[in-house]
Amino acid sequence: MPATIPHPTPSAAPLAATAPDALLEFRNIRIVYDNAIEAIRDVSIAVPEGSIVALLGSNGAGKSTLLKAMSGILYTEEGVVENGSIRFRNDEVHRLAPDELVRRGIVQVPEGRRVFAALTIDENLQMGGYTRTGAEARERRDKVFTLFPRLHERRDQIAGYMSGGEQQMLAIGRALMTDPVLLALDEPSLGLAPLIIDRIYEVIVRLRDELKMTVLLVEQNAQRALDIADYGYILETGRVVLDGTAKKLKANEDVQEFYLGVSSAGRKSLREVKHYKRRKRWLS
Amino acid sequence: MQYLIQLLISGLAIGAIYGLIAMGFAVIYKSTGLVNFAQGEMTMITAYIAWTISTTVSGNVFVVAVGAILAAVLLGLVIERLVMRPMLGEPVFATVMVTIGLAVILRSAINFIWDAYPHGLDVGMGRGIVHLGGIGVRTGQIAVIATLLFLLAAIWAFFRYSKVGVAMRAVAADDRTALLMGISATRVHALAWAASSVIAGIGGVFFALSYDLSPAMFQLGLKAFPATILGGLDAVLGSGLGGLLIGITENLAGGYLGSGMKEVAGFAMIIVVLMVRPFGIFGERDIERV
Repeated sequence: MPATIPHPTPSAAPLAATAPDALLEFRNIRIVYDNAIEAIRDVSIAVPEGSIVALLGSNGAGKSTLLKAMSGILYTEEGVVENGSIRFRNDEVHRLAPDELVRRGIVQVPEGRRVFAALTIDENLQMGGYTRTGAEARERRDKVFTLFPRLHERRDQIAGYMSGGEQQMLAIGRALMTDPVLLALDEPSLGLAPLIIDRIYEVIVRLRDELKMTVLLVEQNAQRALDIADYGYILETGRVVLDGTAKKLKANEDVQEFYLGVSSAGRKSLREVKHYKRRKRWLS
Repeated sequence: MQYLIQLLISGLAIGAIYGLIAMGFAVIYKSTGLVNFAQGEMTMITAYIAWTISTTVSGNVFVVAVGAILAAVLLGLVIERLVMRPMLGEPVFATVMVTIGLAVILRSAINFIWDAYPHGLDVGMGRGIVHLGGIGVRTGQIAVIATLLFLLAAIWAFFRYSKVGVAMRAVAADDRTALLMGISATRVHALAWAASSVIAGIGGVFFALSYDLSPAMFQLGLKAFPATILGGLDAVLGSGLGGLLIGITENLAGGYLGSGMKEVAGFAMIIVVLMVRPFGIFGERDIERV
C-alpha cells in the first residue's frame, strides 16, 4: 500500500486513480507471468486526458510490464492480467487485441526504440500508419516530418544505420503515425546523450501542449521525467509505493534521495540506504 | 554449340520450376522466420489437385489454372491455421520439426487420396514444340520461364511498394514491435503461407505439364531447397534466380560429365557458394549496429 513509506506525504489512496475523467486507468491490476511470477500487485494508476504522467522506478519494478498490458502484448511473454482491469475512456480494454488497441488510439514507443532496422525511414513510418488509410497516413507523415525535419532529410535511408537519437525520433514518429490519443514512451532517454535527451523531451512537451496528446512516460531517469510531468507514480517490485503531483514528488525527501540523487542532509552512508530499503520492504 | 544451347534452355526451364518452389520457401522464411520442409509436398498436392480438375471438371487451361490457384490458397491457409498457428511462440526448432511431420503426412496423403501411379497432366497446351533458330523448345518450357520472370518482378514490386509487403518484412524483422503498430502478425503469416503455396504450386503444375505427376514429386522440394540456400533464404528474388542457377548447373553437368553428376552438381555448387558467402548470394546480412 502506498501509505507505508516511512517519511511524509504519500496520499493514502491515490486520488487520481479513481478519478472518473481519467483517459487511461489501471484499476487494482495484478499481472502474473507463467502462472507463477507476480510482476504487478494491486496497482492503480490514472492518466488524465491532456497530461503527462510519469511512471518511475528502477529496473524490474514492473513499468514495462504495465505498458505491455496496456498494449495487449503480454500474452507473447506468457503474462496474464489476473485481477483488476485496464480502462480506456471507461471501456475495459485489457482483453482487446493489439491492433484494436492501436485503432482506439493507444500506442507505445517500446523500450530500446526497436525501429525496423532493415526498412527505410519512410517504410518504418508507413508501418506506423498501418491501421490508417493511405490518405490519413500521408497526412500524419507530413505532421511527423514537421515535428522531426531530420527524418524528412533522411527518409530513404535504412533505419538501422541511423544514430541512437535519430532512431528514437523515428520510433516516436512511427508511433505518432498511428494517430494516437495516448502515447506511452518506454524509457525514451535510454542510452542517449544529454543533449539529445533534451530534444526528445522538448518534443514530448510539445505533444502535450500543442497537439493535446496524453502521455504516459516510463523512465528510470526520474529527474528528467518529473521536470516535464504533471503527475508521477513510483513503482517498486510491482507495486506503487508513492504517487503525487510532479512538484510534490520532487520535494519528497525519499524521492530526492533515491531517485533524484540529491541529498538534503549531506552524504549518507550506504548502510542507511540499505536500511531504508529493508525497512520499506518490511513495511509494504 | 547447339547441344550447349539445348542444355541451357532445358536447364533454365527446370531451373524456373526449382526457382518458383524456392521462392515459396523464401516467402515463408522472410515473413515467419521458418523453413517449411513441407514445401515440396504442398507443391505436389497442388499439382495433383490441378490434375483432378483437368480430368473431372474441365481440361480448359484457364479453369485448371484458376482452380489450382484457389486450391493452393486454401491449402496454405488451412495449414497455417491448423498446424502453424498453434505453434506460434514455440521454439523455432519445434516448429520446423512440425513442418517435417506435416511433410510426411502430406506425402502419404497422395496415396490415400489419389494413387501411386504416374499421371500426365494435359490441358491441351505446353507440349507443342517451337523452333527458335533451329532449336526445338517446348512451349511449356517457354511459359514456365516467362512465368518465373513475371513473378520475380511482381514479387519484387510487392515487397518494395505495397503496404502489406512492407508489413511482411516488418513482421519478419520484429514481430513484437509490428504488433505494437497494430500489424496483426497472424494475418501476415496466413498471407505468407497462402502466397508461398500458390507460387510453389505454379511450379508444381508446370512440372506436371512438362513431365508427369507421381508420388515422388515431393523431391522437387529437395531440389529447390538448395536453390533457396544458394540465393539466400531471406531473398525471395535471389531464390528464384538460385533456382535457375541450379537448373543450369545440373543440366550442364549431366550433359557433359555424365548423368551421374546431374544429381550431385547442384549440391556441390551450394557447398562452394556457402563457403564464400554463408548468407547465400543475395541474402542480407543482419544489420549489426542496432
